[in-house]
Amino acid sequence: MISGEAIQNEIIQKIRSGGQTELGMIYEEYRTEFLHWITKEYDCSMDDGKDIYQLTILIFYDNIKKGKLEHLVSSVKTYLFGIGKNLAKDNMRKEKKFVPMNQEKWIKQYLIDEPDQQIDENIFALARRALEQLGQPCQRLIELFYYENKNMTEITEAMQYKNPETAKNQKCKCMARLRKLVDEEIKKNSNILNHEAY
Amino acid sequence: MKPTENDITLVEKYFDSELSAEELSYFNTRVEHDENFKALVQREKIIIGAIRNQGLIDNLLYLKSIEEKIQGDQSFPVASGIKGWYYYAAAAVIALLVAVTFLLPGQESNDELFMAYFTPYPNVVEPTLRGNDLRTDRTKVFQAYENKDYQSAAAGFEAMINIKEEPGILLLLGNSNLMLGKSEEAQENFITLIRNYDDFDLQAKWFLSLSYLKSGDTENARKILEELGETEVSYASRAKELLEKVD
Repeated sequence: MISGEAIQNEIIQKIRSGGQTELGMIYEEYRTEFLHWITKEYDCSMDDGKDIYQLTILIFYDNIKKGKLEHLVSSVKTYLFGIGKNLAKDNMRKEKKFVPMNQEKWIKQYLIDEPDQQIDENIFALARRALEQLGQPCQRLIELFYYENKNMTEITEAMQYKNPETAKNQKCKCMARLRKLVDEEIKKNSNILNHEAY
Repeated sequence: MKPTENDITLVEKYFDSELSAEELSYFNTRVEHDENFKALVQREKIIIGAIRNQGLIDNLLYLKSIEEKIQGDQSFPVASGIKGWYYYAAAAVIALLVAVTFLLPGQESNDELFMAYFTPYPNVVEPTLRGNDLRTDRTKVFQAYENKDYQSAAAGFEAMINIKEEPGILLLLGNSNLMLGKSEEAQENFITLIRNYDDFDLQAKWFLSLSYLKSGDTENARKILEELGETEVSYASRAKELLEKVD
């Protein structure tokens, strides 16, 4: 019989090598229990609970992809509830009661607050705009590399490139195009930017 | 001052963890003493942050699409979320098989069956965010599909696959064509998807059978429905796999 810890770590391994399918599986697996717990514990509505749960799953997934979470000594459930608890407490810190969350804003702050980031918010907004202009398949490719942390062999398979070298060349070209678009955006908006920060 | 290609490569290699110990030491010295180089590093950091932001938003939208499906599937307690689609499809396949086998007097019934069983596949390929002001042409096409403007969506998806074929786009293009009454075009889309890709192939088979039904090709519709009926629903096989490991 396989131990509980081995099963938890197998889940982590599956998420690390997987993608949205695994993300969806985890979401469905703990959803009912999490929503029941958070709505009772923090007296929030079901919709607020869902917002927290979605962010919880995103953090869990991101921690695995970044290599921050490699194995669990407790269970996935305990880990998720821990993240949820922190999110709920953080939400209630200012108002002393649960306030609806702006998830997009929260994600932006999550990235800006990452250790060693010191990201300028204005340029960050322009980089996001540039990324939208980049289009597909470049967007997907660099997202697989920098967000999903997929290697070139995995990207070759996912995006049906000829071989990992082609995928790597394509990634470099996409990044070069994106840098150019970011520079153009910065130039266009130079009057509203604080150049010192850049 | 314009950065050199070498500097850009050095920065890219740093963020891709590809620097040798010697290169890393050189990189750190440059960051410490060269303000222009430091700015280059900062720009790359922001760009990667923006890419990660997009990844997080995409996954958030994906989770929201699952949540919507769970809400929609509440009358189907057997399964929830994205997997619920498979249960729905499996149940519908069985019902449709029975109907095709026993109740098929003619073309009119085929149309009725099509009407009864066809619901366009939701846009879980690239869900759009309401109120998002960063709208690209691509996003507009997906929004047209979500807004049931199948004429614009079909034209947009067609243009996209002319540039690069993608399984999700083929599935939505096929659905748009079905909504526009273009069964043969839809069949072509689904057949291409089934032949060339593993993603969305079960969904494509389901919609292909419906499009055959719509065009009166009962024999082919039945063939695909039988094939679909023999497949296992994803949760069942996963449960068996887990059970083997536990034992």
